[in-house]
Amino acid sequence: MNMLEVKNLRKRFGDNEVLKGIDLTLEKGEVLSIIGASGGGKTTLLRCLNFLERANSGEIIVGGRSVYSAQDGEKPVVTPEAQLSFGLVFQQFNLFPQYSVMENLMLAPKLRAKREAKQGASVKETPEAIRDRAEKLLATVGLSEKANAYPCQLSGGQQQRVAIARALMLSPDILCFDEPTSSLDPELTGEVLRVIRSLKSSDRTMIIVTHEMEFARHVSDKVIFMADGVIEEQGTPDEVFGNPQSDKLRAFLSAGEEK
Amino acid sequence: MDQFWKITLDLMVGFGETLKIFAITLALSLPLGLIIAFGSMSKFKPLAALTRAFVWVIRGTPLMLQLIAVYYGPGLVFGQMLLTAPAAVYITFTINYACYFSEIYRGGIESIAKGQYEAGQVLGMTKRETFFKVILLQVIKRIIPPMSNEIITLVKDTSLARVVTYYELIYFAQRYIKNAGLLWPLFYTAIYYLVFTAVLTFFFRWLEKKLDYFKA
Repeated sequence: MNMLEVKNLRKRFGDNEVLKGIDLTLEKGEVLSIIGASGGGKTTLLRCLNFLERANSGEIIVGGRSVYSAQDGEKPVVTPEAQLSFGLVFQQFNLFPQYSVMENLMLAPKLRAKREAKQGASVKETPEAIRDRAEKLLATVGLSEKANAYPCQLSGGQQQRVAIARALMLSPDILCFDEPTSSLDPELTGEVLRVIRSLKSSDRTMIIVTHEMEFARHVSDKVIFMADGVIEEQGTPDEVFGNPQSDKLRAFLSAGEEK
Repeated sequence: MDQFWKITLDLMVGFGETLKIFAITLALSLPLGLIIAFGSMSKFKPLAALTRAFVWVIRGTPLMLQLIAVYYGPGLVFGQMLLTAPAAVYITFTINYACYFSEIYRGGIESIAKGQYEAGQVLGMTKRETFFKVILLQVIKRIIPPMSNEIITLVKDTSLARVVTYYELIYFAQRYIKNAGLLWPLFYTAIYYLVFTAVLTFFFRWLEKKLDYFKA
Protein backbone atom coordinates (compact mmCIF):
# COMPACT_ATOMS: atom_id res chain seq x y z
CA MET A 1 0.00 0.00 0.00
CA ASN A 2 1.14 3.53 -0.64
CA MET A 3 2.34 5.23 2.52
CA LEU A 4 2.55 8.57 0.81
CA GLU A 5 0.94 9.92 -2.28
CA VAL A 6 1.53 13.44 -3.52
CA LYS A 7 -0.65 14.69 -6.33
CA ASN A 8 0.12 17.68 -8.50
CA LEU A 9 1.65 19.76 -5.72
CA ARG A 10 2.30 23.37 -6.67
CA LYS A 11 3.91 26.18 -4.75
CA ARG A 12 4.43 29.80 -5.73
CA PHE A 13 6.34 32.55 -3.97
CA GLY A 14 4.91 35.68 -5.53
CA ASP A 15 5.30 35.19 -9.27
CA ASN A 16 7.99 32.60 -8.84
CA GLU A 17 6.61 29.08 -9.21
CA VAL A 18 8.96 26.87 -7.23
CA LEU A 19 7.02 23.60 -7.47
CA LYS A 20 5.34 23.04 -10.80
CA GLY A 21 3.15 20.05 -10.15
CA ILE A 22 4.92 17.33 -8.19
CA ASP A 23 3.56 13.78 -8.22
CA LEU A 24 5.11 11.01 -6.24
CA THR A 25 4.27 7.86 -4.34
CA LEU A 26 6.16 6.06 -1.65
CA GLU A 27 5.52 2.71 -0.11
CA LYS A 28 5.81 1.89 3.54
CA GLY A 29 9.42 1.30 4.55
CA GLU A 30 10.81 2.89 1.42
CA VAL A 31 13.59 5.43 1.47
CA LEU A 32 13.39 8.21 -1.08
CA SER A 33 16.29 10.50 -1.84
CA ILE A 34 15.73 13.80 -3.56
CA ILE A 35 18.73 15.20 -5.37
CA GLY A 36 19.25 18.20 -7.60
CA ALA A 37 20.93 21.57 -7.79
CA SER A 38 20.12 24.32 -5.31
CA GLY A 39 17.00 26.24 -6.24
CA GLY A 40 15.44 23.23 -7.90
CA GLY A 41 12.66 22.98 -5.33
CA LYS A 42 13.86 20.04 -3.20
CA THR A 43 13.73 21.83 0.10
CA THR A 44 10.47 23.57 -0.76
CA LEU A 45 8.90 20.20 -1.49
CA LEU A 46 10.02 18.91 1.89
CA ARG A 47 8.78 22.06 3.60
CA CYS A 48 5.41 21.70 1.89
CA LEU A 49 5.15 18.11 3.10
CA ASN A 50 5.83 19.32 6.63
CA PHE A 51 3.45 22.26 6.25
CA LEU A 52 6.16 24.82 6.93
CA GLU A 53 5.01 26.15 3.59
CA ARG A 54 1.44 25.72 2.42
CA ALA A 55 1.26 24.38 -1.09
CA ASN A 56 -0.97 26.53 -3.29
CA SER A 57 -2.62 23.50 -4.81
CA GLY A 58 -2.41 19.74 -4.86
CA GLU A 59 -3.04 16.92 -2.48
CA ILE A 60 -1.04 15.01 0.11
CA ILE A 61 -2.30 11.57 1.09
CA VAL A 62 -0.77 9.61 3.96
CA GLY A 63 -1.71 5.97 4.47
CA GLY A 64 -4.75 6.41 2.23
CA ARG A 65 -6.02 9.42 4.16
CA SER A 66 -5.99 12.84 2.57
CA VAL A 67 -4.21 15.15 5.01
CA TYR A 68 -3.92 18.19 2.79
CA SER A 69 -5.89 19.20 -0.22
CA ALA A 70 -5.79 22.66 -1.72
CA GLN A 71 -7.36 24.28 -4.73
CA ASP A 72 -5.70 27.41 -5.96
CA GLY A 73 -6.38 30.34 -3.66
CA GLU A 74 -7.50 28.50 -0.54
CA LYS A 75 -5.44 27.71 2.52
CA PRO A 76 -6.54 24.48 4.15
CA VAL A 77 -6.21 24.02 7.89
CA VAL A 78 -3.53 21.57 8.91
CA THR A 79 -4.76 19.30 11.69
CA PRO A 80 -2.40 18.17 14.46
CA GLU A 81 -2.71 14.61 13.12
CA ALA A 82 -1.68 15.74 9.65
CA GLN A 83 1.27 17.62 11.08
CA LEU A 84 2.44 14.60 13.03
CA SER A 85 2.24 12.26 10.05
CA PHE A 86 5.50 13.90 9.06
CA GLY A 87 8.67 14.49 10.99
CA LEU A 88 11.49 16.75 9.89
CA VAL A 89 15.18 16.88 10.64
CA PHE A 90 16.57 20.30 9.74
CA GLN A 91 19.82 21.24 8.13
CA GLN A 92 20.51 23.55 11.10
CA PHE A 93 19.36 20.97 13.73
CA ASN A 94 17.23 23.57 15.52
CA LEU A 95 17.56 21.97 18.91
CA PHE A 96 16.12 23.99 21.79
CA PRO A 97 19.24 25.52 23.37
CA GLN A 98 17.91 25.96 26.89
CA TYR A 99 16.97 22.31 27.28
CA SER A 100 19.21 19.33 27.89
CA VAL A 101 19.31 16.54 25.35
CA MET A 102 16.75 14.51 27.32
CA GLU A 103 14.47 17.52 27.71
CA ASN A 104 14.70 18.23 23.99
CA LEU A 105 13.42 14.73 23.33
CA MET A 106 10.67 14.77 25.93
CA LEU A 107 9.28 18.31 25.55
CA ALA A 108 6.89 17.78 22.65
CA PRO A 109 5.54 14.37 23.78
CA LYS A 110 5.00 15.72 27.30
CA LEU A 111 3.14 18.75 25.97
CA ARG A 112 1.05 16.45 23.83
CA ALA A 113 0.12 14.34 26.86
CA LYS A 114 -0.78 17.49 28.74
CA ARG A 115 -2.98 18.65 25.87
CA GLU A 116 -4.74 15.29 25.78
CA ALA A 117 -5.35 15.42 29.52
CA LYS A 118 -6.77 18.92 29.23
CA GLN A 119 -9.16 17.89 26.47
CA GLY A 120 -10.37 15.08 28.68
CA ALA A 121 -9.11 12.46 26.26
CA SER A 122 -7.34 9.46 27.69
CA VAL A 123 -3.63 10.20 27.89
CA LYS A 124 -1.73 7.86 25.64
CA GLU A 125 1.61 8.07 27.37
CA THR A 126 2.73 8.57 30.95
CA PRO A 127 5.80 10.70 31.73
CA GLU A 128 7.66 7.53 32.69
CA ALA A 129 6.87 5.93 29.36
CA ILE A 130 8.05 9.07 27.56
CA ARG A 131 11.33 9.03 29.48
CA ASP A 132 11.74 5.37 28.74
CA ARG A 133 11.26 5.89 25.03
CA ALA A 134 13.60 8.89 25.02
CA GLU A 135 16.33 6.82 26.65
CA LYS A 136 15.91 4.07 24.10
CA LEU A 137 16.04 6.47 21.17
CA LEU A 138 19.07 8.19 22.60
CA ALA A 139 20.76 4.80 22.70
CA THR A 140 19.72 4.21 19.09
CA VAL A 141 21.59 7.31 17.99
CA GLY A 142 24.49 6.41 20.29
CA LEU A 143 24.27 9.35 22.68
CA SER A 144 23.12 7.85 25.97
CA GLU A 145 26.05 9.40 27.81
CA LYS A 146 25.01 12.88 26.61
CA ALA A 147 21.50 12.74 28.08
CA ASN A 148 22.13 15.66 30.42
CA ALA A 149 24.33 17.74 28.13
CA TYR A 150 23.09 20.96 26.56
CA PRO A 151 23.15 21.47 22.79
CA CYS A 152 25.98 24.02 23.00
CA GLN A 153 28.17 21.32 24.54
CA LEU A 154 27.72 18.97 21.59
CA SER A 155 29.42 18.76 18.23
CA GLY A 156 27.35 19.40 15.12
CA GLY A 157 27.15 15.71 14.39
CA GLN A 158 25.95 14.95 17.89
CA GLN A 159 23.39 17.75 17.72
CA GLN A 160 22.04 16.34 14.49
CA ARG A 161 21.78 12.87 16.01
CA VAL A 162 19.82 14.36 18.92
CA ALA A 163 17.58 16.11 16.41
CA ILE A 164 16.93 12.79 14.70
CA ALA A 165 16.01 11.15 18.01
CA ARG A 166 13.78 14.12 18.84
CA ALA A 167 11.91 13.77 15.54
CA LEU A 168 11.48 10.03 16.15
CA MET A 169 9.89 10.70 19.56
CA LEU A 170 6.71 11.73 17.76
CA SER A 171 6.68 8.49 15.71
CA PRO A 172 5.98 10.15 12.38
CA ASP A 173 4.71 8.01 9.51
CA ILE A 174 7.23 9.66 7.24
CA LEU A 175 10.51 11.04 8.50
CA CYS A 176 12.06 13.77 6.36
CA PHE A 177 15.62 15.00 6.32
CA ASP A 178 16.48 18.38 4.86
CA GLU A 179 20.15 18.22 3.87
CA PRO A 180 21.00 16.72 7.25
CA THR A 181 24.76 16.91 6.79
CA SER A 182 25.10 20.15 4.82
CA SER A 183 26.05 22.28 7.79
CA LEU A 184 28.46 19.74 9.25
CA ASP A 185 32.21 19.57 8.96
CA PRO A 186 33.16 16.75 6.56
CA GLU A 187 34.53 14.55 9.34
CA LEU A 188 31.18 14.68 11.16
CA THR A 189 28.92 13.69 8.28
CA GLY A 190 29.77 10.00 8.61
CA GLU A 191 28.26 9.53 12.05
CA VAL A 192 25.00 11.18 10.99
CA LEU A 193 24.72 9.22 7.77
CA ARG A 194 25.41 5.98 9.68
CA VAL A 195 22.56 6.76 12.06
CA ILE A 196 20.18 7.51 9.19
CA ARG A 197 21.17 4.29 7.48
CA SER A 198 20.59 2.34 10.69
CA LEU A 199 17.05 3.70 10.88
CA LYS A 200 16.12 2.04 7.65
CA SER A 201 13.61 -0.66 8.45
CA SER A 202 10.52 -2.18 7.01
CA ASP A 203 8.15 0.15 8.78
CA ARG A 204 10.04 3.41 8.61
CA THR A 205 9.40 5.53 5.56
CA MET A 206 11.95 8.25 4.93
CA ILE A 207 12.55 11.12 2.51
CA ILE A 208 16.03 12.55 2.36
CA VAL A 209 17.05 15.72 0.56
CA THR A 210 20.78 15.40 0.19
CA HIS A 211 23.91 16.36 -1.68
CA GLU A 212 25.66 13.17 -0.56
CA MET A 213 25.41 11.19 -3.78
CA GLU A 214 27.23 8.09 -2.53
CA PHE A 215 24.95 7.97 0.47
CA ALA A 216 21.81 8.49 -1.63
CA ARG A 217 22.89 5.71 -3.91
CA HIS A 218 23.33 3.23 -1.09
CA VAL A 219 20.53 4.04 1.28
CA SER A 220 17.64 4.75 -1.10
CA ASP A 221 15.06 2.55 -2.70
CA LYS A 222 14.04 5.40 -4.94
CA VAL A 223 15.74 8.53 -6.18
CA ILE A 224 14.16 11.66 -7.55
CA PHE A 225 16.13 14.27 -9.45
CA MET A 226 14.50 17.67 -9.30
CA ALA A 227 15.27 20.64 -11.49
CA ASP A 228 13.38 23.89 -11.97
CA GLY A 229 10.43 22.80 -9.86
CA VAL A 230 9.68 19.53 -11.62
CA ILE A 231 10.72 15.93 -11.18
CA GLU A 232 13.12 15.67 -14.06
CA GLU A 233 13.92 12.02 -13.57
CA GLN A 234 13.18 9.26 -11.10
CA GLY A 235 13.87 5.62 -10.55
CA THR A 236 15.96 3.19 -8.55
CA PRO A 237 19.42 4.39 -7.50
CA ASP A 238 20.97 2.22 -10.18
CA GLU A 239 18.77 3.74 -12.87
CA VAL A 240 19.27 7.33 -11.79
CA PHE A 241 22.97 7.18 -11.01
CA GLY A 242 23.99 4.40 -13.39
CA ASN A 243 21.96 5.27 -16.42
CA PRO A 244 20.83 8.91 -16.38
CA GLN A 245 18.51 9.78 -19.25
CA SER A 246 18.25 13.54 -19.30
CA ASP A 247 21.02 15.99 -20.12
CA LYS A 248 20.28 17.92 -16.93
CA LEU A 249 20.83 14.90 -14.73
CA ARG A 250 23.97 13.91 -16.59
CA ALA A 251 25.32 17.44 -16.19
CA PHE A 252 24.39 17.48 -12.51
CA LEU A 253 26.05 14.16 -11.76
CA SER A 254 29.25 14.90 -13.64
CA ALA A 255 29.52 18.31 -11.95
CA GLY A 256 29.43 16.48 -8.63
CA GLU A 257 32.17 14.10 -9.68
CA GLU A 258 34.48 16.96 -10.62
CA LYS A 259 34.38 18.20 -7.05
CA MET B 1 23.73 62.51 65.23
CA ASP B 2 20.28 62.03 66.58
CA GLN B 3 18.98 64.21 63.82
CA PHE B 4 20.88 62.25 61.20
CA TRP B 5 19.18 58.98 62.16
CA LYS B 6 15.81 60.61 62.45
CA ILE B 7 16.14 62.00 58.95
CA THR B 8 17.53 58.74 57.62
CA LEU B 9 14.48 56.93 58.92
CA ASP B 10 12.12 59.59 57.64
CA LEU B 11 13.69 59.40 54.19
CA MET B 12 13.33 55.64 54.39
CA VAL B 13 9.58 56.19 54.46
CA GLY B 14 9.89 58.35 51.36
CA PHE B 15 12.02 55.68 49.78
CA GLY B 16 9.28 53.17 50.55
CA GLU B 17 6.96 55.27 48.38
CA THR B 18 9.61 55.34 45.67
CA LEU B 19 9.87 51.56 45.85
CA LYS B 20 6.11 51.29 45.61
CA ILE B 21 6.08 53.15 42.28
CA PHE B 22 9.00 51.04 41.12
CA ALA B 23 7.46 47.69 42.06
CA ILE B 24 3.96 48.39 40.82
CA THR B 25 5.22 49.85 37.54
CA LEU B 26 7.47 46.88 36.94
CA ALA B 27 4.89 44.26 37.84
CA LEU B 28 2.34 45.76 35.45
CA SER B 29 4.50 47.04 32.62
CA LEU B 30 6.51 43.86 32.07
CA PRO B 31 3.47 41.82 30.96
CA LEU B 32 1.77 44.82 29.32
CA GLY B 33 4.93 45.47 27.33
CA LEU B 34 4.79 41.94 25.95
CA ILE B 35 1.18 42.46 24.86
CA ILE B 36 2.11 45.76 23.18
CA ALA B 37 5.03 44.01 21.49
CA PHE B 38 2.64 41.41 20.04
CA GLY B 39 0.41 44.25 18.88
CA SER B 40 3.22 45.99 17.06
CA MET B 41 4.22 42.72 15.39
CA SER B 42 0.66 41.77 14.47
CA LYS B 43 0.02 40.55 10.94
CA PHE B 44 -3.19 42.57 11.08
CA LYS B 45 -1.70 45.77 9.68
CA PRO B 46 -4.07 48.38 11.20
CA LEU B 47 -3.41 47.00 14.69
CA ALA B 48 0.35 47.04 14.14
CA ALA B 49 0.24 50.60 12.80
CA LEU B 50 -1.96 51.80 15.65
CA THR B 51 0.26 50.18 18.26
CA ARG B 52 3.40 51.61 16.75
CA ALA B 53 1.87 55.08 16.59
CA PHE B 54 0.93 54.79 20.26
CA VAL B 55 4.45 53.71 21.19
CA TRP B 56 5.81 56.63 19.19
CA VAL B 57 3.67 59.14 21.08
CA ILE B 58 4.53 57.70 24.47
CA ARG B 59 8.23 57.46 23.77
CA GLY B 60 8.22 60.79 21.99
CA THR B 61 6.85 62.93 24.81
CA PRO B 62 8.28 63.60 28.27
CA LEU B 63 7.12 61.34 31.07
CA MET B 64 6.59 64.45 33.18
CA LEU B 65 4.18 65.86 30.64
CA GLN B 66 2.31 62.57 30.53
CA LEU B 67 1.98 62.59 34.31
CA ILE B 68 0.53 66.07 34.27
CA ALA B 69 -1.83 65.22 31.42
CA VAL B 70 -3.16 62.09 33.11
CA TYR B 71 -3.50 63.68 36.54
CA TYR B 72 -4.76 67.16 35.65
CA GLY B 73 -6.17 66.45 32.19
CA PRO B 74 -9.60 65.18 33.27
CA GLY B 75 -9.99 68.17 35.56
CA LEU B 76 -9.20 70.58 32.76
CA VAL B 77 -11.46 68.90 30.24
CA PHE B 78 -14.41 67.79 32.37
CA GLY B 79 -13.93 70.05 35.35
CA GLN B 80 -13.69 66.95 37.51
CA MET B 81 -10.56 65.21 38.80
CA LEU B 82 -10.75 61.57 37.86
CA LEU B 83 -7.72 59.98 39.44
CA THR B 84 -5.90 60.18 42.74
CA ALA B 85 -2.22 61.07 42.49
CA PRO B 86 -1.01 57.50 43.15
CA ALA B 87 -3.42 56.08 40.56
CA ALA B 88 -2.29 58.62 37.97
CA VAL B 89 1.33 57.84 38.72
CA TYR B 90 0.94 54.06 38.50
CA ILE B 91 -1.07 54.25 35.28
CA THR B 92 1.27 56.70 33.56
CA PHE B 93 4.46 54.96 34.60
CA THR B 94 3.08 51.57 33.63
CA ILE B 95 2.05 52.68 30.16
CA ASN B 96 5.25 54.63 29.60
CA TYR B 97 7.51 51.80 30.63
CA ALA B 98 5.45 49.15 28.86
CA CYS B 99 6.08 51.02 25.61
CA TYR B 100 9.82 51.06 26.14
CA PHE B 101 9.78 47.40 27.17
CA SER B 102 7.67 46.49 24.14
CA GLU B 103 10.40 47.65 21.81
CA ILE B 104 12.98 45.64 23.73
CA TYR B 105 10.74 42.56 23.61
CA ARG B 106 10.13 43.07 19.89
CA GLY B 107 13.84 43.26 19.16
CA GLY B 108 14.41 40.13 21.22
CA ILE B 109 11.57 38.15 19.70
CA GLU B 110 12.50 39.08 16.15
CA SER B 111 16.09 38.05 16.76
CA ILE B 112 15.18 34.43 17.49
CA ALA B 113 15.89 32.15 14.56
CA LYS B 114 12.86 31.05 12.55
CA GLY B 115 14.06 27.47 12.90
CA GLN B 116 13.05 27.44 16.56
CA TYR B 117 9.41 28.11 15.65
CA GLU B 118 9.59 25.62 12.81
CA ALA B 119 11.02 22.93 15.07
CA GLY B 120 8.13 23.53 17.46
CA GLN B 121 5.63 23.24 14.63
CA VAL B 122 6.96 20.02 13.14
CA LEU B 123 7.04 18.48 16.62
CA GLY B 124 3.31 19.14 16.85
CA MET B 125 3.54 21.90 19.43
CA THR B 126 1.01 24.70 19.30
CA LYS B 127 2.15 28.26 18.61
CA ARG B 128 1.46 29.13 22.20
CA GLU B 129 3.48 26.22 23.55
CA THR B 130 6.35 27.02 21.23
CA PHE B 131 6.39 30.61 22.38
CA PHE B 132 6.16 30.00 26.10
CA LYS B 133 8.22 26.81 26.31
CA VAL B 134 10.88 27.49 23.70
CA ILE B 135 11.10 31.09 22.56
CA LEU B 136 10.48 33.14 25.70
CA LEU B 137 13.49 32.06 27.76
CA GLN B 138 15.77 32.67 24.79
CA VAL B 139 14.26 36.12 24.42
CA ILE B 140 14.71 36.83 28.12
CA LYS B 141 18.34 35.83 27.96
CA ARG B 142 18.93 38.18 25.07
CA ILE B 143 17.10 41.18 26.48
CA ILE B 144 18.56 41.19 29.98
CA PRO B 145 21.17 43.87 29.21
CA PRO B 146 18.78 46.41 27.61
CA MET B 147 16.10 45.58 30.18
CA SER B 148 18.41 46.18 33.11
CA ASN B 149 19.28 49.55 31.62
CA GLU B 150 15.64 50.53 31.37
CA ILE B 151 14.80 49.22 34.83
CA ILE B 152 17.62 51.19 36.41
CA THR B 153 16.32 54.29 34.64
CA LEU B 154 12.93 53.59 36.18
CA VAL B 155 14.43 53.78 39.68
CA LYS B 156 15.40 57.38 39.07
CA ASP B 157 12.35 58.34 36.99
CA THR B 158 10.20 57.70 40.06
CA SER B 159 11.32 61.13 41.27
CA LEU B 160 9.09 62.67 38.59
CA ALA B 161 6.00 61.53 40.49
CA ARG B 162 6.53 64.52 42.75
CA VAL B 163 5.12 66.88 40.09
CA VAL B 164 1.65 65.44 40.59
CA THR B 165 1.90 65.55 44.41
CA TYR B 166 2.97 61.97 44.89
CA TYR B 167 5.21 62.13 47.94
CA GLU B 168 8.30 60.07 47.24
CA LEU B 169 11.90 60.23 48.37
CA ILE B 170 12.90 63.55 46.78
CA TYR B 171 9.78 65.25 48.12
CA PHE B 172 10.51 63.99 51.63
CA ALA B 173 14.04 65.38 51.41
CA GLN B 174 13.00 68.70 49.96
CA ARG B 175 10.68 69.37 52.86
CA TYR B 176 13.77 69.79 55.06
CA ILE B 177 14.85 72.78 53.02
CA LYS B 178 11.58 74.57 53.56
CA ASN B 179 10.85 73.41 57.11
CA ALA B 180 14.28 73.24 58.72
CA GLY B 181 16.66 75.00 56.37
CA LEU B 182 18.56 71.77 55.84
CA LEU B 183 19.99 71.21 52.40
CA TRP B 184 21.96 68.02 52.93
CA PRO B 185 19.02 65.58 53.08
CA LEU B 186 18.29 66.33 49.44
CA PHE B 187 21.77 65.29 48.38
CA TYR B 188 21.73 62.46 50.86
CA THR B 189 18.92 60.81 48.84
CA ALA B 190 21.53 59.91 46.20
CA ILE B 191 22.76 57.20 48.59
CA TYR B 192 19.34 55.54 48.56
CA TYR B 193 19.23 55.48 44.78
CA LEU B 194 22.81 54.29 44.54
CA VAL B 195 22.34 51.44 46.99
CA PHE B 196 19.19 50.31 45.26
CA THR B 197 20.67 50.41 41.76
CA ALA B 198 23.66 48.48 43.11
CA VAL B 199 21.28 45.77 44.31
CA LEU B 200 19.61 45.72 40.90
CA THR B 201 22.93 45.59 39.10
CA PHE B 202 23.97 42.58 41.15
CA PHE B 203 20.63 40.92 40.54
CA PHE B 204 20.91 41.29 36.77
CA ARG B 205 24.47 40.07 36.79
CA TRP B 206 23.35 37.02 38.75
CA LEU B 207 20.48 36.44 36.30
CA GLU B 208 22.84 36.67 33.35
CA LYS B 209 25.14 34.12 34.98
CA LYS B 210 22.21 31.90 35.72
CA LEU B 211 21.26 31.80 32.03
CA ASP B 212 24.84 31.34 30.94
CA TYR B 213 24.43 27.59 30.71
CA PHE B 214 23.00 27.80 27.20
CA LYS B 215 23.79 29.75 24.08
CA ALA B 216 21.00 31.49 22.24
